[in-house]
Amino acid sequence: MSGGLIRTLHLGSTRRTRAPMLIAPALLAACEGQQSALAPAGSDARVLDDLFWVMLVGAVILWLLINGLFFYVTRINRAALSRRFANGLIVVGGVIFPTVVLGALLTYGLSIMPDQRAPGEGLTLRVTGEQWWWRVEYWPDGADAPIIAANEIRLPTGQRSEIVLDSARVIHSFWIPALGGKMDMFPGRESRMSLMPETPGRWRGQCAEFCGASHALMAFDVVAMPLADFTAWLQMQAAPARPPATDAAERGAQIFAREGCGACHAVRGTEARGAVGPDLTHVGSRLSLGAGTLKTTLTDFERWITHTGAIKPEVEMPAYDYLTDTDLSDLAQYLKGLE
Amino acid sequence: MSDTDQTAPIGPYPPTEAMLAEPVPSEEQARTKAELKAAWAPPRGWRYFTAVNNSEVGLWYALTAFGFMLLAGVLALVMRLQLAVPDNDLISADRFNQFFTMHGSAMMFLFAVPMFEAIAILILPAFLGGRDMPFPRLSAFGFWCFVIGGVFVMGSLLFDSAPTAGWFMYPPLATHDEGPGSDIWLLGLSFIEIASIAAAVELIVGALKCRPPGMRVNIMPLYVWYVLVVGGMILFAFPPLIAGDFLFELERSFDWPFFDPTRGGDPMLWQHLFWIFGHPEVYIVFLPSIAIAAMVVPTVARRPIVGYSWIVLSAVGTGFLSFGLWVHHMFTTGLPNLSLGFFSAASEAVVIPTGIQLFAFAATLIAGRVKTSLPMLWIAGALAIFTAGGLTGVMLAIAPFNWQVHDTYFIVAHLHYTLFGGMVFPVIAGVYYFYPFIRKKMLSERLGRWAFWLIFTGFNVTFLPMHLTGLLGMPRRVFTYSAEMGWGWLNMISTLGVFVIAAGFIVFVWDLLRPKGNQTQVPRNPWDAGTLEWSHDVPEEYWGARSIPHITSRYPLWDDDQLVTRMDAGRYYLPDSPHGHRETLVSSMIDASPELVQRVTGPTWITLLAAGFTGGAFIFPTFHMYPPAIVSGAFAVVCILWWLWTSTARLPEDEMRDAGLGLRLPTYASGPKAVGWWAVWITMLGDATAFASVVFGFFFYWTAKSDFPPEGALHATPALVGLAVAALVTSWALTLGARHWNRAGRVGVARAALAAAPMLTAGGCGALILSVQQLEPTSHVYPAILWALMIWVVAHALVGIIMQLYCLAGSLTGKLTPRFDADLWNSTLFWHFLCLTALVCGAIMGLAPKVL
Amino acid sequence: MTCKHLPRPDEEHREFREEADSLWRITLSPVTWVAHFLLSYIVVAVVCAKAPALLGTARIGLLVATLLALAVIVWLGLRAWRQWDWNNTGDYTNPVGEAEDRHQFLGHAAVLLALISAIGVIYGTLPVLMLESCR
Repeated sequence: MSGGLIRTLHLGSTRRTRAPMLIAPALLAACEGQQSALAPAGSDARVLDDLFWVMLVGAVILWLLINGLFFYVTRINRAALSRRFANGLIVVGGVIFPTVVLGALLTYGLSIMPDQRAPGEGLTLRVTGEQWWWRVEYWPDGADAPIIAANEIRLPTGQRSEIVLDSARVIHSFWIPALGGKMDMFPGRESRMSLMPETPGRWRGQCAEFCGASHALMAFDVVAMPLADFTAWLQMQAAPARPPATDAAERGAQIFAREGCGACHAVRGTEARGAVGPDLTHVGSRLSLGAGTLKTTLTDFERWITHTGAIKPEVEMPAYDYLTDTDLSDLAQYLKGLE
Repeated sequence: MSDTDQTAPIGPYPPTEAMLAEPVPSEEQARTKAELKAAWAPPRGWRYFTAVNNSEVGLWYALTAFGFMLLAGVLALVMRLQLAVPDNDLISADRFNQFFTMHGSAMMFLFAVPMFEAIAILILPAFLGGRDMPFPRLSAFGFWCFVIGGVFVMGSLLFDSAPTAGWFMYPPLATHDEGPGSDIWLLGLSFIEIASIAAAVELIVGALKCRPPGMRVNIMPLYVWYVLVVGGMILFAFPPLIAGDFLFELERSFDWPFFDPTRGGDPMLWQHLFWIFGHPEVYIVFLPSIAIAAMVVPTVARRPIVGYSWIVLSAVGTGFLSFGLWVHHMFTTGLPNLSLGFFSAASEAVVIPTGIQLFAFAATLIAGRVKTSLPMLWIAGALAIFTAGGLTGVMLAIAPFNWQVHDTYFIVAHLHYTLFGGMVFPVIAGVYYFYPFIRKKMLSERLGRWAFWLIFTGFNVTFLPMHLTGLLGMPRRVFTYSAEMGWGWLNMISTLGVFVIAAGFIVFVWDLLRPKGNQTQVPRNPWDAGTLEWSHDVPEEYWGARSIPHITSRYPLWDDDQLVTRMDAGRYYLPDSPHGHRETLVSSMIDASPELVQRVTGPTWITLLAAGFTGGAFIFPTFHMYPPAIVSGAFAVVCILWWLWTSTARLPEDEMRDAGLGLRLPTYASGPKAVGWWAVWITMLGDATAFASVVFGFFFYWTAKSDFPPEGALHATPALVGLAVAALVTSWALTLGARHWNRAGRVGVARAALAAAPMLTAGGCGALILSVQQLEPTSHVYPAILWALMIWVVAHALVGIIMQLYCLAGSLTGKLTPRFDADLWNSTLFWHFLCLTALVCGAIMGLAPKVL
Repeated sequence: MTCKHLPRPDEEHREFREEADSLWRITLSPVTWVAHFLLSYIVVAVVCAKAPALLGTARIGLLVATLLALAVIVWLGLRAWRQWDWNNTGDYTNPVGEAEDRHQFLGHAAVLLALISAIGVIYGTLPVLMLESCR
């Protein structure tokens, strides 16, 4: 009940608390990053953004009061002042005031926790942290087999989706600042979170728990789309890979098979069934390559295949730098064609 | 009690004003002065490094810790250069990871905690008008352990093999890590943690038992209160980490799966153990630094502190509450909201005592006539920075906000605000404030202001923008980022700021190190302070205090204008050293009533040797060289035994000694009257905490894992466990009996008991080892933790055997007699704890499988 | 100076006897907070891991524990308040090196620790009141 009351209160204060941003247009511009907690696009992130501005304003006022007091007594008025006032200050400033303020803040904080972890409805995602990429499974309501993807999260707007997290080897942390808080991914232990995107659009998430050499290069794209679009997209993802459309792509498919890529990567509908690396069935339609590191242009496919270790230190995939330029170009054509 | 009682003080106490007013004849002054000077003369030439004085060891300790801080700071400079622009390739990812791991580890383990110990060792005896710490050789041993461990850990950077998993070494990343990096971290820092515990024991005993006569608990300098609280915190905070290190190294070396989820282990256990250490650690760093402020502020306000009791309460309250915060480092691990709520609540509650301290300082400044000084400028800077860090801390303690900014640059900003404001600035204030006391010279006012404004400005330029960098989504510990992220300009600002900080530190270091030979002699009390350390001798003398005063107020130098003159004249206690021994006064804990003249140890090589061999025992296993490690460990034991045998619990020449002012004090004590007994008690409390942490591990697995113990698992053989416990308990009873029989003069019976007990102990160890033989510790965490418990008990029982034999040898050679039996008391105390450990271990190994 | 050559009784024991009550009071109120805190944490951890259905009962149990803890702390605080004796002495600094001041100082410290412990216990109960599930 108190939670509801507070929610109403701070919804009312949303507009007011944005004032500091308007005062600082430079900050405002900076807040609009694709990975910013200050540019919320989901209900959880929005609540946390409000919480932040409330706390920031409070913190700035308190900082000014405390340090102003010290400045006053050491610089402006150095004479001995009232001992009674001094004692009163300890009791009021040191005990009563903070107990009330912190108690209220704690209540506010606790009141928003249950909603942030409310169970999802409909879609469940299962994301597994790998070194250094993301294995993604979509489990629509009632599905008995997942739709497998990698390094990209798509979510329907206006509904809360459940996300089940775990990890293959070391601890990672799954974080989409624009949609909500983060949750760690443990090997051998499932953790759960849920997110509710509000605005359709494209954002970015990144691993937040240090996970080894290429921790810095473990990111992913996030797309929030209206439910109808999302359903259509998911259906497309469920389909097997498109056959190569050009001769070059056809040759690329042969090179893919010849080099043994299928030992690690799956391309559904072909012989490639490896599960060590990311599923490539629809890699051509993804927004990025190498877990948020490169674009999915032909050049970037070529760069990635030939310079894996240089782009992403200690990555498991070997660099195929011995491929001839034509082979490489054909292979890139093939992969790019896997839309 | 009769006149012949040789264990209790005889004579008038407290001294009357008439006794104090009586002048000391000048020839007696000269004689006693010469005696003291001879007894406390520091070693010269290359023997200088055998010194164990608190003034020497404390100074080395502080300089070494400061040196490590500068090195760790250079690592930060390189990291900032790497991050200055997006997609930079100045250093490789691997090197960057080594650098941030070592930056954090060194700042915490090689700078912050040792710096507290260094400063406390350096100035605590002076606050107490004392001669030295109660166990000077223990300080020296701790210092040499610290140097060896620190050089080893930092040195790994030069060989490109430093640890890379971050300063909190989360498994499985750290356990899987190839190369010796993680082992270097674990063994090197465990070694230093043990040195820290040694220092804590020393500081607690110093603060409780070595206060000057009359310094009751309500007039102790606040610094001493803080030392006491922090010492206690170290005692309970470090052992869980040592227990964690123990399990971690067993996994690294022998593949026992404590943190491996595929075989029943759980990486979460490490996080719990690490942060049960890690959060109190923040306060272990913060409290002693704020204690410096508690000494500077009254001097600046030229009046006694306002709210003395409030500050004492805050220190004690913070000490307690800080143990209920650890999960706020684990808010994103998926624990239930309700669990997070408790830690969120405690994290907000701890703000209140911290705030009280700041308001007590403000109140003192309000009520006083303020005369600002350079140290106060640093304190003011500290407050400005610390309050900002504290307020972001209040935000972070709100769990849902933490979910957003955890592990981002917001945290990096927050923690640097708290540590610069809560540690670096107050410590530098302390350096400026205490420099005249330590080096008998002044630092430059002008350079000090330059250093302040450079570091203060540079700090804010570096770290203020990081709050925003974090909110804009930049995770910590990334070696690079893409230009598209829009973090470039913020990072560039931070990098520019860090070089301003570096410039400030260069000014500060220059001021510290520049030659000051031509300076005029400093006044004895340059700040007009009121506490005892400013009764120091200028130019320097090594005896600590010329005579140990009787104290009746919190600011004796303000309240008693005769005090220093009388101290100098040798009017007070222990003005002489008739046998040429180094001695200090031991007093009661609450009212500091004099009880004993304690002989303290002098210069020696043995501590250095012991530290060297102990180092070997920790460093060789890093490279899996176990035989040399065992040999080295054996030599370390021999060195320590030699040290104990030759310099502790020595038989006194005279059982009583004139301590001055008509008071005669005993010179030997055993049991609870002896400082050594208290040291053992405190050490064992820490040791018991470590054991409790291992036991916590057992029950943690039981709660967190459904397969603990796994279906159809083998258990320890109950009969053998029972036999082992029975043998150890009997051995304990024999040790206790030996103490009674020896006291009663039945030396023969006591010797027989001390001879039989080690055999029983050995038999008990054998039975315990056999009881787990059929278990395979690499197969699952359940057998592994039973093995770990077994190793813990057996290792302690081996120490127990050594103690029993040591006492037997003492009895046979006349070092231990019915009257002089301190060693036997201390060994019995150890055995009390060992007996308890054995019973708990037996209950878990023998009974738990039936109950769980 | 007639006492000059008489041995002094065991000072340490006498002090501890004299202040045993106040030392207990000083330690017990934070220890009550520790006990309440650990109890809350352990009960929730075990119940949520082994029997989430019992959470409702566990929360009621924890609220009872809170009342008990607060009662203990208030009792300790009141006794310490009497020991501090501020109403009669009007002295809240106790800065003199005498047995009486030491005694009152220990009382004052115990009052303040009781205050902090009570705040800690009340804060620690807020999650029990406001959060209803193991999620």
